[in-house]
Amino acid sequence: MKKIEFWLHRFVFVYGLIMLSTFFMCLLFNPTSELPVVTFFGRCILLTLVSMLTLLIYTSGEELSNRAWWTRTILHAILLEAVLLPLAHNWGFWYNTLDGLIYGTFILAAKGLWHLIDFGQSFYMAAALNEQIRKRKREEIQKEGTNNG
Amino acid sequence: MKVTVEQIAPERAEEVLLRCHDPKEPWVEEIQSIAAGQITVNGMADGKLCRLKLGDIYYFEVVDGSAFFYCQKEVFSSKQKLYEFEALCVGTMLFRCSKSMILNAEKIEYVLPSLSGRFEAVLDNGEKVIISRQYVSTLKRLLGR
Repeated sequence: MKKIEFWLHRFVFVYGLIMLSTFFMCLLFNPTSELPVVTFFGRCILLTLVSMLTLLIYTSGEELSNRAWWTRTILHAILLEAVLLPLAHNWGFWYNTLDGLIYGTFILAAKGLWHLIDFGQSFYMAAALNEQIRKRKREEIQKEGTNNG
Repeated sequence: MKVTVEQIAPERAEEVLLRCHDPKEPWVEEIQSIAAGQITVNGMADGKLCRLKLGDIYYFEVVDGSAFFYCQKEVFSSKQKLYEFEALCVGTMLFRCSKSMILNAEKIEYVLPSLSGRFEAVLDNGEKVIISRQYVSTLKRLLGR
């Protein structure tokens, strides 16, 4: 259940990022173009699903070392660009080279933001864990003091 | 609550049998933890068989199919499988922290976040080990009890 919740949360996050990127692309570069609402939302969902599928690159039977994680993160960024850029171009989310460059930058920025948010959550969790560890150590010292005294 | 203590002959194995309504009650976990302090496992170092207390083990790791117990300074090889050792650790401060490791939460000095979304635990002997995100909730529960 927790895993489903985790992936749903991720899906909504990626979907939001794609919607925002596409919104700004349309607003800045092609304000006159019209996209049918249902098709637009549907394509955004598909782009999100494809993005989520690329996460399979992190799948491993063994725990990834830090080096392996960085390698796969770089490969994932390349894969995202290789898959999402042609798809988005085909669906009219960007048209010329400049648009493509900006859309590609959006993808990288979104990936960076994803990792930053992840890090923020880890940071918060680590602080909570460290507080618990400190509390336990204090209690142990107090216990030892009581036993000795 | 009724408490029964039965004295047995030295040749018989000692055991604790708990009859409770909820195995997650704090007092049950407390007794499990005390009993676990007496659990020992066998490890090999320099061709000698050594008996190790669970509480002295920092972590248990499987590397390329071989299993090892890591204590403060010494490393012992083991024939135990990860799942066998995991079953032995139920109710103790040892928990599964990644795909190939079981870590003693009592030996963690502090935890550092990492960009990869995982955590780095610095142990009181200075060693650093990785804790996967999916097992962090277990650690939180263990530290909070």
